[in-house]
Amino acid sequence: MLRRLLCALVLAGLSAGAAWAQGYPAPASVPRTTDPARLRAQALDREIHERFSRGLAAEAREDWSAAIPEFERIIVLDPPEPRGSTARYDLAIARARSGDFPHAITLLEAALERDPGFTAAAANLVTVNTLAGNLDAARAAADRFVALAPASARARYERGIIALRAGDLATARSDFRVLIAGDPAYAVAHYDLALVEIRSEAFPAAELELESALALAPAYARARFALGTVLLRLGRRADARTAFDRAAQDASDLALRALALDLRDRL
Amino acid sequence: MTRLRIPWTLVLLTLAATLAVAGGIAVGGEATLEDLARTQTVPSAAAGLLGPITESGRTGWECAPERAARARTAHAAGLPASTP
Repeated sequence: MLRRLLCALVLAGLSAGAAWAQGYPAPASVPRTTDPARLRAQALDREIHERFSRGLAAEAREDWSAAIPEFERIIVLDPPEPRGSTARYDLAIARARSGDFPHAITLLEAALERDPGFTAAAANLVTVNTLAGNLDAARAAADRFVALAPASARARYERGIIALRAGDLATARSDFRVLIAGDPAYAVAHYDLALVEIRSEAFPAAELELESALALAPAYARARFALGTVLLRLGRRADARTAFDRAAQDASDLALRALALDLRDRL
Repeated sequence: MTRLRIPWTLVLLTLAATLAVAGGIAVGGEATLEDLARTQTVPSAAAGLLGPITESGRTGWECAPERAARARTAHAAGLPASTP
């Protein structure tokens, strides 16, 4: 009798433990109201939650056409901040990845209108305008990004590159210097600052920046190639030849390698 | 037997012209060399898009794209690396 009782207790304990250890997903909260307006609000909230989950899962597998309708529906449901601007931001990524840059730009601008401090949206607005080839709009977006986050490495980098391409050497120089001051070990910033100095015909300053870049990243072939061009302009042909030779060895870009070899052989 | 008369003036003029042309080509070649080099001194690549944000991502400080957008170092900001 006692043995039976003990067995029953052990079995009951085991089954209770197994049930306790079972990992059920977090259930949706049970509606604790009968008010139709509140029930509707809870249903919409649940739909927004589900559509975010599905949209993000689609973006994670780069299925942009599946992600787009999920975020579009969230926007129609018009959730409060920060979900409204976040849905626009996520939809902009899907649109941009699908090559629909105009829609992506509109969505990011709308996200920033809802939340002017949304820094990631400001950053992506610069990138999408650059991808779309809207250099004036990219510059305006970059100015906004820098105003929002003046110490941001990405803000300074993006505006510096756009300014350099547009020939605004003063802004490019200033941005790359701020970037280097915040992160002196970033070789790419030294390279870009060297390009500013080359375009300003300040070749000794360019040489210094390229030497800094190459001290940080010795196999940085594009910086080595640029150093060759600077040395050529300074009349140091033997040094230029050595630089082109090393650039050809390090370059993974076939066009750069072929040009470096050509220049080396002509010197 | 007729003696061949060498027109020295003509020879000198031809020589001078040849030297001038060769010099011009050399100078032109040097300019082309620099122009060629300049075509490959292009700015580094633009930064890529920052990634998606979850529904509750921007509540608190654990939002990776927001942190990358505000980061002070290139690595934390996800900027292009110095690839060979």
